[in-house]
Amino acid sequence: MKGKRGNVEKHYYLMVLPGLVWLFLFSIVPMVGIVMAFQDYNPGLGIFGSEWIGLENFRYLMQLDDSKQVIINTLIISSGKIVLNLLIPLIFALLLNEVTQLQYKKLVQTIVYLPHFISWVIMASIVINIFGYRGAINTIRGWFGLEPRLFMADPSIFRQLVIGTDVWKSFGFNAVIFLAALTSINPNLYEAATIDGTNRWQRTWYVTLPELKSTIVLLGVLGLGNILNAGFDQVYNLYNPLVYSTGDILDTWIYRLGLTNLQFSLATAAGLFKSVVSFVLITISYVLAYKFADYKIF
Amino acid sequence: MIKKLIAVVLVCMLALVSVACSSGSKTPSSDANENTSSNNESESTPSENGSSEGESSGEPAFMKFPKPVDVHIGMSVSPVDKTLPPGDSAQDNQYTRYLRENFNINVIVDWTAAEGENYNQKVSLAIASGDLPDGLVVNDRTYMVRAAKSGLLYDITDLFEKYASKQVKDIMASTQGRAMENASYNGRMVSLPNITVDTDGIYVMMIRKDWLDKLNLPVPKTLSDIEKTAKAFIENKMAGDNTIGIIGPDKNGHPYSTFLLSSNNRFGFDPVFQAMDAYPGYWLDDGTGKVVYGTLTENTKKTLELLARWYKEGIIDPELGTRDSSAEVVNANQAGIFFGPWWSIGYGNGDSFKNDPNANWQAYPVYSDDGKWNVRMKTVGTSYTLISKKASEDVAKAIIIMNNVLVRDEGIFDTSVAIGWYPLRNVMAPADECEYEYRELWKILRGQADPEDYNIPGNPYKLIYADAKAIRNVVKPADLNNEVLNIQDFDKSDFGKFQRFYSLLIGNRPYATITPDKKVYSVTYNQTETMERKWANLQKLEDETILKIILGQEPISSFDKFVEKWKAQGGDEITAEVQAEYDKKK
Repeated sequence: MKGKRGNVEKHYYLMVLPGLVWLFLFSIVPMVGIVMAFQDYNPGLGIFGSEWIGLENFRYLMQLDDSKQVIINTLIISSGKIVLNLLIPLIFALLLNEVTQLQYKKLVQTIVYLPHFISWVIMASIVINIFGYRGAINTIRGWFGLEPRLFMADPSIFRQLVIGTDVWKSFGFNAVIFLAALTSINPNLYEAATIDGTNRWQRTWYVTLPELKSTIVLLGVLGLGNILNAGFDQVYNLYNPLVYSTGDILDTWIYRLGLTNLQFSLATAAGLFKSVVSFVLITISYVLAYKFADYKIF
Repeated sequence: MIKKLIAVVLVCMLALVSVACSSGSKTPSSDANENTSSNNESESTPSENGSSEGESSGEPAFMKFPKPVDVHIGMSVSPVDKTLPPGDSAQDNQYTRYLRENFNINVIVDWTAAEGENYNQKVSLAIASGDLPDGLVVNDRTYMVRAAKSGLLYDITDLFEKYASKQVKDIMASTQGRAMENASYNGRMVSLPNITVDTDGIYVMMIRKDWLDKLNLPVPKTLSDIEKTAKAFIENKMAGDNTIGIIGPDKNGHPYSTFLLSSNNRFGFDPVFQAMDAYPGYWLDDGTGKVVYGTLTENTKKTLELLARWYKEGIIDPELGTRDSSAEVVNANQAGIFFGPWWSIGYGNGDSFKNDPNANWQAYPVYSDDGKWNVRMKTVGTSYTLISKKASEDVAKAIIIMNNVLVRDEGIFDTSVAIGWYPLRNVMAPADECEYEYRELWKILRGQADPEDYNIPGNPYKLIYADAKAIRNVVKPADLNNEVLNIQDFDKSDFGKFQRFYSLLIGNRPYATITPDKKVYSVTYNQTETMERKWANLQKLEDETILKIILGQEPISSFDKFVEKWKAQGGDEITAEVQAEYDKKK
C-alpha cells in the first residue's frame, strides 16, 4: 500500500517536470535581466559590463508627471474591467440558465462567445467604425438631431469605452465558467426549495448565488493578479495622443519608452515597478479573500 | 431548422469577420505601397539588358571575391508584396543570385520582419541584446547612434575609402559632406548613409484642380485663399455631403515634421506653418546665434490659433488625429486639399485616379501674406546600413560592394520583382535627382534631347535613361509651351510609370520651377545626451497639447502653460546642450 502510494507521487512529479523546466527557462532565467533597471544599460557592454547607477532610473520615473497619471489610468481601467467582467457574465449566465429551450440556449451562447476569438487589431477597427465620426452611433444621434461627436478623441469617455468594449468582447467566454458551475449545483437543493414554496428569484438568491460564491471569489482573486494589466492590445489599437491623459496605461507607456525610444533601462525599471506593485496587490487580495470568503488556493 | 439557422448565423459572422479583416488590412497594405514609393523612385523601371558586369570587375568597388563570402542580414519585408516568383525567397531571388554569380557574395537572411513598426521593434531588440547580424538597415538615426555608442558597429572609414565606387562617392559629395557627417559617430564612419532627394522634405499643397475649375475659382496662394477655397468646396458639396475641405494627419500621422522626422510627412500642416514663418519641431537660430525650439515660438502659437479656428469652422477634417488612415479619404476622392511632399500625388494617391479618372490633382506652394515661399529643409537621409563589429573584413567589404552594385545597377534590374527584395537596400540618390529629372524629361518631351543621350555608364542619376525611354509613351502634353500638365495629358495604361511621371512632373513641379524665398534648416537633426532620456516625455507633451489646441479641447491659452512645462521638464537643459553643440560647430 505504502509503496504504491509512493509510485503515484513519483508519477505526479514526472508530470510536473516539463512545466517546471519551462518555468525555469522562460520565467526564472529572464529575471536576471531585471538588473538592467539598476544600470545604465549599454548593449555593447552587456549586463555584466554596464555601469551601475542604483535607483536613478526609479527616481527619474517618479519625477515624471506621466507615471502617476499612467498608474491611475491603469488602476481605473483594470478595476473597472475586473468588476464588470465578473458581474456581467454572472448575470448573463444566470439569465441563460433560466432558458429551458436547450438549442436556443446553445445558439445564444455560441454567438456571444465568438467575439472572444477575434483579435484586438480587428476588433479595434470594428469599434472605431462604430464610434467614429460617421459611425453607427453618430448616425443614430443624427436621427435625433444631435451633432456628431468625436468619441475616439474624447478623454472623458475613453476609459468607459475601453472597459465597455472589453466586456462586450469577453463576457460570453467568461460566462462559460459560471455556466459550468451552475450545472454542478445539486438539483435536490432546487427541489427542496420549490417544496418550501420559493419563487424563481428566491431560489436564485438563496440557492444559486451561495453555491456560486467560491467561483466568484476565485475569479475575483485571479483577476486581481492582473490588475496592472489593463490590456495592451486593446488600448494600443484604440488610443491616440488626444486620449493619453485618460487612456495611456503602464504597458503602452513602457512600450513607448523601451521599444520606440530605446530607453531599455528606464523601461525595465518601469516594468519592475509594475511587477512589485502587482505582487503587493495580489498578496493583499489573497489575504482579503481568505478573510471574507474563507478561500485559499495554497 | 435550428441547424440551418446556426449555419446562417455562422456565415454572417464569418462575413463580418472577413469584412473587418479586409478593412483592417487595407491600411497597412496601402501604406506599405506608399512607403516603398516614397524612398524609391524606381518601382516600375522595366527590365533592360540583364547585367552590366565585365567592364569594371577589376576595380575594388566591383571585385569578385575569390571564395564565396557569407553575409548574414536581417531584412524588412513587405507582407503584401507578391512579386517574388514561386520558389524564390528573401534569400534566393534574382538579386541575391546576381550577387552570388557576379561577386561571390552569398546572402544569408538570418531573420525577417514586416516593414514598419514590426521591423523597428526587431531592430530595437537586436540592438538591446547586442546581437546584430552582419548587415542591417535601420530607419532612424537613433538606432544607429545607439548601436555605435554601444560599440556594436564596424569602423568602415578606411574600407569605404578603398572600396566605395566613384558613383557612390560622387553622390556622397553632392551633399557637401553632410552625408558623411550623418553616417559617422565620433568622427569615424560607422554606417552607410541613405541619401534621399531634397524634395522629399519640401511640403506643398495638393489640390483638386478640376473642382476649382468647376467652381471657377483661381488657384489659392495664401492661407486666406486656401480658407475660402476649402469653404467653397464644402459648401458646394464637391464630393457629396461628406466633403472634407482639408484633410489632416491620421492617428499615426504628425501635424508637422520634426528635426528627427524631417521628411516625407504626408497630411501634416507643414505648409500652413511655413506660410506663417513658423517652424515647429525644428531647432532654430533666432537670428542672434541663440538656439530656440521652433514649437515654442509666437508664430507657432498664431498658426495654432488659425488651425483651431479652421477646425471649429469645419474646414479641416473633423476626425483629425483619430482616423485610421487619411490616405483612404484622399483615395475615395472625398477631400479637396491636403499637404505633403512631391510623391504624395502620383505615387501616394494612385487609387484616387482609379476611382475618378478626371481627378486632376495639382501641386502648388503656399505663400505667406507678403508673397514669400518658405520651406523647411530635411536632413540628408534617415536610414543607415549598419555593419556589425563582429563581421569579418571580407564581409564588411562585401556589404560596401553590395551598395555599389545597387547604385550602379538599380536602373537595369528587372524590377517586376520588387526592388525591395534587394538585400540591404538603402537608397542613395543625388539630392537634386528629382529636379534634374524634371528638367531633362521636359527636354525630351519637347524633342530637345534624345533618350540615348542619357545612356551614360556610371551616371549618378541612375534612373534617367530608363525614364527617358519611357516618357513619350506615357505623357502626351497638349501644349508643349505650357509646363502645367493635366491628368488628361497622361496615359495610364502602364500605371507604375504613370505614377512616377505624375509625381515627378506635377508633384515636384513647384520645387523644380520656383526658387524658395527662404530655406530653413534645423540647427541639429540628431539627439543630444539628455534628449535620449527626456525627449519621449517632451514629445508626448507636445503631441498632446498641439492636437488638443487644434481640436479645441483646450484653449489657446494653454499654449503658454505648455511652454512653461516643456522648459521645466528638461526642455531648458536640452536647449542648452543644443546651443553648446551649435557653438562648437560655428
